[in-house]
Amino acid sequence: MKLELHKMQIKSMAWGAKTGVKDGVLSVCKEDVLSLVKTDPNFLKVEVDLALPGDKTRIIPVKDVVEPRCKLEGKNGIFPGMISDVETVGYGKTLVLEGAAVVTCGKVVGFQEGIIDMSGPAADYTPFAHTCNLVLVVDPVEGLERHDYEASLRIAGLKVAEFLAKSAAGMPADSVEAYEAKPLKEAMTDYPGLPKVAYLYMLQSQGLLHDTYVYGVDAKKILPTLINFTEVFDGAIVSGNCVSACDKNSTYYHLNNPIIKAMAARHGKDYNFVGVIITNENVTLADKKRSSSYAVKLAQTLGVDGLLISEEGFGNPDADLIMNCRKAENAGIRTVLVTDEYAGRDGASQSLADAAKEADAVVTAGNANEIIILPAMEKVIGYPTYADVIAGGFQGSLRQDGSIEVELQAITGATSELGFTRISAITI
Amino acid sequence: MKEIERGGIPVVHVCTIVPISQTVGANRIVPAVAIPHPLGDPTRTHEEEVQIRRNLVLKALKALGTEVHEQTVFTD
Repeated sequence: MKLELHKMQIKSMAWGAKTGVKDGVLSVCKEDVLSLVKTDPNFLKVEVDLALPGDKTRIIPVKDVVEPRCKLEGKNGIFPGMISDVETVGYGKTLVLEGAAVVTCGKVVGFQEGIIDMSGPAADYTPFAHTCNLVLVVDPVEGLERHDYEASLRIAGLKVAEFLAKSAAGMPADSVEAYEAKPLKEAMTDYPGLPKVAYLYMLQSQGLLHDTYVYGVDAKKILPTLINFTEVFDGAIVSGNCVSACDKNSTYYHLNNPIIKAMAARHGKDYNFVGVIITNENVTLADKKRSSSYAVKLAQTLGVDGLLISEEGFGNPDADLIMNCRKAENAGIRTVLVTDEYAGRDGASQSLADAAKEADAVVTAGNANEIIILPAMEKVIGYPTYADVIAGGFQGSLRQDGSIEVELQAITGATSELGFTRISAITI
Repeated sequence: MKEIERGGIPVVHVCTIVPISQTVGANRIVPAVAIPHPLGDPTRTHEEEVQIRRNLVLKALKALGTEVHEQTVFTD
């Protein structure tokens, strides 16, 4: 399965009479975006705003972030099972407006959404301080169930992302990246001297608005399965998550999964990257046992020597992470885990809810309990009072002068377990 | 949990994810239903839920009165 990503670099975003890209500037016709979103009868009020890198702007509460993409070639559209048919994606050509993002903002589950600051200290912690953002702020009609509100807001973000990308379809790209996910028959015999590795991609699926979708299927209902990594680049995996902002995988991260990109880049050099297994993080012990056993069985079926496992979220999913690790290691497959930590504000507490001696190669994205002070911003998009109730916030988080004292947990993407972060550490 | 037992009072940990209970060192473990609803099941009728709760509490009380010499999961 071959996919080309045709990338246009977006350096700025501005309102315009017509939506389109010129000289790296994405012009957006506000009325076009509003009319696209307002068709949903679940919305009472829709506002759109712009937030650019360096602006003294705060966005709160952030639900999801989506990168503008659309298909240029290939039978199906982007985000299959969501805004396009459920047919297969991951081949052909896809246009990417790199540097642009659609941010959805609403009061779905106020305490489990995030903060994006476009400048100041939090800008180091969220990658979306460095993208040109079109922000949708959407209020629901009275009496709308939260899960319906979430679904509508999710679809709105995806639709606008596709709309923005389509406005530039047909224009020359700044760069083209070519990817190929080979059929197993070839993948198995390629690079005979190199170890075989696979990626075990854990998807948040606890339910109660902690959900991820695969081709439109709620991931809590899947058995672990194989997916070509190019399908992920075409939006086969979509976030429906209202959960702590620091380590949930927004749709943007899935589209740009840095682990997949790194494994694809090292494929044929350091190892043979034979495939991606997706699995879930469900809420009963039986589900956890079944999914971890099934995922490891798939890894054994692929005959891999190593498995890279990324977690989404924390607490309950720590149990899935450790089960995946232990079962793989006991099957003779070496593992590397990618997670983050909740080690208390002083960093002295146990980092994960579960542990195992087999987990001896772990990459951490940081301690989500670290406190950060966010200075007041000149402009706030959304609803600032949510700072007091957001996960990582507390009574009094929002101070009278507009500054906020919170844990990193509240900042969108601060401790991404896919490694989509800007801060790293080295031991000296 | 550990401090209470250290004080000589037995403890039962009613917990959905048994491996975590084992990792943190609980001695008497009674498996619960699911993380969002450890003592109930919203897919069942009210009467069935009452029975689920009653069974779990009775099982926990039985575990409390059972002498154990190692970490024990009370499945039935």
